[in-house]
Amino acid sequence: MSNALKDLLYKMADDALIIGHRNSEWTGIGPMLEEDLAFSSMAQDKIGHAQALYKILNEVLGEADADTLAFKREEKQFKCCHFVEQPIGEYDFSIVRQFLFDHAELIRYDILTQSSFQPLAQLAKKVKGEIKYHVMHADTFVKQLGNGTEESKARIQSSLNYAWHLALGIFEKSEFENDLIAENIFVGEDELKKRWLEKIIPVMESANLKVPATDEIKIVYGGRKGFHSEYLKPLLDEMCEVVRTDIDAEW
Amino acid sequence: MYGSTNLSEEEAKRMNTTVEDPEKLEAFESRIARGEKIEPQDWMPVEYSKQLIRMIEQHAHSEIVGALPEGTWITRAPNFRRKLALIAKVQDEIGHGQLLYSAAETLGKTREEMLNDLLSGKSKYSNVFNYPALTWADIAVIGFLVDGAAIVNQVINSKGSYGPYCRALERICYEESFHLKQGHDNVVYLATGTKHQRAILQDAINRWYRPLLHFFGPPDKQSAHSEKLMKWKVKLASNDDMRNQFLDQYVPKIWELDITFPDPNLKKNDDGIWEFSDPDWNEFKRVINGDGPCNAERIAVRKFAEEAGRWVRQALMNPSEKYVVPLA
Amino acid sequence: MNTLDPRIKRLSLDPSTEVEKTNSHLITYEVFHQEKRGKHVTHVGIVHASNPEMALVMAKEVFGRRGKTTNLWVVKTSDVYTFGSDDEDMFETTPEKTFRDPAYYKVRDRIEKFQNKQKFEHEQRT
Repeated sequence: MSNALKDLLYKMADDALIIGHRNSEWTGIGPMLEEDLAFSSMAQDKIGHAQALYKILNEVLGEADADTLAFKREEKQFKCCHFVEQPIGEYDFSIVRQFLFDHAELIRYDILTQSSFQPLAQLAKKVKGEIKYHVMHADTFVKQLGNGTEESKARIQSSLNYAWHLALGIFEKSEFENDLIAENIFVGEDELKKRWLEKIIPVMESANLKVPATDEIKIVYGGRKGFHSEYLKPLLDEMCEVVRTDIDAEW
Repeated sequence: MYGSTNLSEEEAKRMNTTVEDPEKLEAFESRIARGEKIEPQDWMPVEYSKQLIRMIEQHAHSEIVGALPEGTWITRAPNFRRKLALIAKVQDEIGHGQLLYSAAETLGKTREEMLNDLLSGKSKYSNVFNYPALTWADIAVIGFLVDGAAIVNQVINSKGSYGPYCRALERICYEESFHLKQGHDNVVYLATGTKHQRAILQDAINRWYRPLLHFFGPPDKQSAHSEKLMKWKVKLASNDDMRNQFLDQYVPKIWELDITFPDPNLKKNDDGIWEFSDPDWNEFKRVINGDGPCNAERIAVRKFAEEAGRWVRQALMNPSEKYVVPLA
Repeated sequence: MNTLDPRIKRLSLDPSTEVEKTNSHLITYEVFHQEKRGKHVTHVGIVHASNPEMALVMAKEVFGRRGKTTNLWVVKTSDVYTFGSDDEDMFETTPEKTFRDPAYYKVRDRIEKFQNKQKFEHEQRT
């Protein structure tokens, strides 16, 4: 069972770390000062979630400490989905990604509050409020921009179309899917996806956005099995640049 | 030079020639003399409001431009603790900008007008941010010493006469003390770390020494003074006094780590006054006038942020809502 | 653009870009913060926002990203009604109305005087 648990924790932690890292790139150059602050806080929250999940891996499941897991693993050891690896692009992509990703995240954590794996259930209870804010933030922006100017409407719709099959990659199943369900650790990605669609479709409708059509073949999978987009390797090289200058130093 | 109060000669002259209603001026000045604050709705001399806008606006620009040198290392911070601290720290700079623009807005200049003036070069920001952050150690030095210098300036300014500016600065000083602590922590880790870590720290200190001496502006004997700004509690301490206070607080904290400053003449005299070699005030002037290593990049990045964010802000605007000056 | 910041490098900036001046403004909301249950909700500053929902979303991170917060309120600046600063004289004499203050009522002296008197009279009698 511990392999299944590790798999779940790694993919959640890696998703959180990478999207947090990406979103922190906006700090200081956001579209308005208030939004700069909000986006930056949420990036910090995400990085904090990654740290907490790695800590469970370390303390409960015997993996290395959080800093080692984040800063000293190889690209192929990461289990994040391609969606979070994508560059920040322009603000419309970043906000659409936040909208799609955080709705899934909120439902995931909400479900995990009932997990049979206590350390995860406790963490989920603790940080659910943070993700609730991330969703509130994303919904507010998506609705405003979707109902805004011709330019903002077009941008949000086209980013949504672009992001759609990447976002569906969040729900890629691993070989441990059935174990996690059987042990009441997690309800599984299919159920998560179902509830996710139920949540986001009404918001898209009230934002005057067309729900993109899903083409199963186009869904971007691979991340959960260690196969990544061309963006992850450079991201990790950049993130680890200082660490690698003096690998044994304490920073 | 966060929010510099150094006047050009022309400005100094105008300060002394603008005629105000003597009765109102008298009430205004005696209010300040009593130690009371001025609030946005109060009558105030034209020059008081003008100088405050200039100073608060410059201070605000310094915050949002100041976010850029440190932003250089945001994606490369070496562990969770430093990554979170750095993002939170750079975020605070933007937050301080938000608070300061808001304080200046109460005087009737909108945030957008202030940003326009930053981008057109009409209004300045602190010179210190025109230098690059070459290595991770620069982040430690900026966090500890540049923020240390900023705190000296901001604590003094928070005793000024304009209510909204004082309130903003109180909050800012509280947050700056986090910056200082995390900067010191970072400096200490490098100084007590490996040979490589000590070397990059020493190198960063060597490079930042002069910009830090420049930070508080030219020596008192070279800068135009305004008795009025002192009387109105817009300016509260001289450049030299602030610089001395900074050296007194921070030099020993670097020396105790067996790290040096690149100045054989740096020492504290028996009268408590620090002595140092001439930090090349011509370079200071050159950089202020646009010829520093990063001036062009800083403005180009702010222009990008302004342009790239325009469609977002436009989509949020509602033409039927009329802008009014914020209250406090 | 030659930059040390990898984030900025990815933006491929053109330094010669002309920026348009901005002449329109977002409106502002006054923000009020309650630190703890049972405490007053106090004014802490403003945010720029398009509507009350967004103002709240913004206010949370501008004014509530440290320490404790139980709630935030936002009010459109133009909806706040205040006294003019010329009207401060209406409040000028209020501190003089000490009959409204608890400290005005000092009876200890009188009680002691009364007790001394009683004691004296009692001693006289015995």
